[in-house]
Amino acid sequence: MTRSRTESVMLYAVVIAVIVVFVFPLYWMFNTSLAPATRLRSFPPVFVQPEPTFAAYERIFNERPVGVWLRNSAVVAVSSTALSMFVSVLAGYSISRIRARGSQAIGLFFLMSRMLPSTLIIIPLFVSFRQLQLIGDLKSLVLAHATFITPFAVWMLKGYFDTIPSELEDAAMIDGCTPLSALLRVVLPLSAPGLAATTLYGFVLSWNDFVFARTFLVANQKAWTVNVGVASLKGEYLTEWNEIMAGSLIAMLPIVLAYLFLERYLVSGLTSGATK
Amino acid sequence: MGEGAGGWGRKIAQIFLRLTKPNTGASPRWSLWQPGNRQLFGYLLLLPAVLLTAAIIVYPIIAAIDLSFQRIKIAKLGRSRAPLTLANYEELFTSPEFYQAIWVTISLVATVTLLSYVIGLGAAVLVNQKFRGRKLARILVATPWAVPSVMAAIIWWWLFDSSFGLINWALVRSGLSGAMIPWLSTPGAAFFVIVVVMVWKGYPFISVIMLAGLQSIPLELYDAAKVDGANAWNRFRFITVPGLRSVRGIALILIMLWVFRDFPIIYILTGGGPQGTTQTLAIMTYQEAFKFHDFGFAAAIGVITLFISVIASWFMVRRSDQPIY
Repeated sequence: MTRSRTESVMLYAVVIAVIVVFVFPLYWMFNTSLAPATRLRSFPPVFVQPEPTFAAYERIFNERPVGVWLRNSAVVAVSSTALSMFVSVLAGYSISRIRARGSQAIGLFFLMSRMLPSTLIIIPLFVSFRQLQLIGDLKSLVLAHATFITPFAVWMLKGYFDTIPSELEDAAMIDGCTPLSALLRVVLPLSAPGLAATTLYGFVLSWNDFVFARTFLVANQKAWTVNVGVASLKGEYLTEWNEIMAGSLIAMLPIVLAYLFLERYLVSGLTSGATK
Repeated sequence: MGEGAGGWGRKIAQIFLRLTKPNTGASPRWSLWQPGNRQLFGYLLLLPAVLLTAAIIVYPIIAAIDLSFQRIKIAKLGRSRAPLTLANYEELFTSPEFYQAIWVTISLVATVTLLSYVIGLGAAVLVNQKFRGRKLARILVATPWAVPSVMAAIIWWWLFDSSFGLINWALVRSGLSGAMIPWLSTPGAAFFVIVVVMVWKGYPFISVIMLAGLQSIPLELYDAAKVDGANAWNRFRFITVPGLRSVRGIALILIMLWVFRDFPIIYILTGGGPQGTTQTLAIMTYQEAFKFHDFGFAAAIGVITLFISVIASWFMVRRSDQPIY
């Protein structure tokens, strides 16, 4: 397919215009985060900061517990992903390979539980966690996140296990491997990219959560995750928008980086059933 | 019964021994893969995941359904049960707020889905063209997808800020609006803001899925159609649109479910206000429970949302035929 010069110029113009419109809010966030506090409430708005400053970043780390919130988010994301990966590897392998009677139904249940409304589940969960005195404790969040990561992880992993020929395990078992060591020594190393992608996605799901973190931790500011913390920076009357934008940028940076790596995995995960 | 359980216990122990002991004797490993043992091994592997979901998903669902039939203001689950009653549902079905929430939910789901679909498909077709830098363009077009909902809400909050927001400035400056608009406290405007944020976050999702669909359409079809004299619109209409049929259904259901269940965007921007004009069923469930502490009533609304989610996801599971993934 060849295109005339005017056609290509128009194509580029449209592509650039579309990207500018969609990415502009992110630029505006970055631009605001570099603004000195005095410039926030001035018209006309400044599109390129003449004197960019990192003062807002310094302030949120020095005067607000952003460092603590980031650490909480990381602790919860790592622990819940680890817990979830442990149970999901086993379950995904079972559904992919062993296909015990009823395991397909369980797999289907996992698939559907991805769509359940968390605003309903959180009501009795809050009551139970309060009885167990877990409210305000990061453990409540780890448990909840691990459970909500598991259905995604089980299905992503099942997909990777499906691509590994089962003859490899058969051969390993003839050579003296137990089924468990065949899983550990043959299947898992072969699905390393899949494991990495699933782990990263679990991390993203946990980091992005708002409803559980807000409900379980709201009373204990020291335990807030970064999402709850940054959302709280919006004041009733006056908001230091440069600080809230700086906090948001830092909070979303790991997720944006993760997506750059994850995109192709997520796409194939979402569509492989449909496009075949 | 006890005998049976003992039998199972012994069998599990045997399997565990066989699973952990290295293969020493001549006995072939294959005995493990005999139908009965193999099944048991399968269940053992499923057990941890099932226990976790049973505790954190299944039990809460059952407890919530139970709660929805009790008149409980501040939930004291497990201590004292209130008698079973239909009062929550009666209150629900006679409450104008509930019907308003249904209407808000339907309009929001329809508007966001339609706009995300049109914009997402357009963006996908655009970055599926052959041009230099297309890889970068694909990443940039999909960027808002990676922005967490909380941050998406916060960014647009600032852009729509009533006194110093860029959008108000642009509207006043260009003469489109005579005065600053208090977006989030004006009924129609608040709904509009929610739609904008959700479409911004939702279109890349459609776009990414559609792009995968577009790439699965063989290019020869387009070449053949060109030879036969089909113009660009007809090629789009008769090759692209039918070619995307398989992914379209999944993309639409997933985005509808996302809007239907969203919590952070609406909660952060408006909390459901002003006057309930942005209050979806999901937000109403949450507010009744955690703002008004009316747990039984909240659970009743939640059970309705559960019902709708299950039906929608069932359609999705059915659509994506056999190897669903």
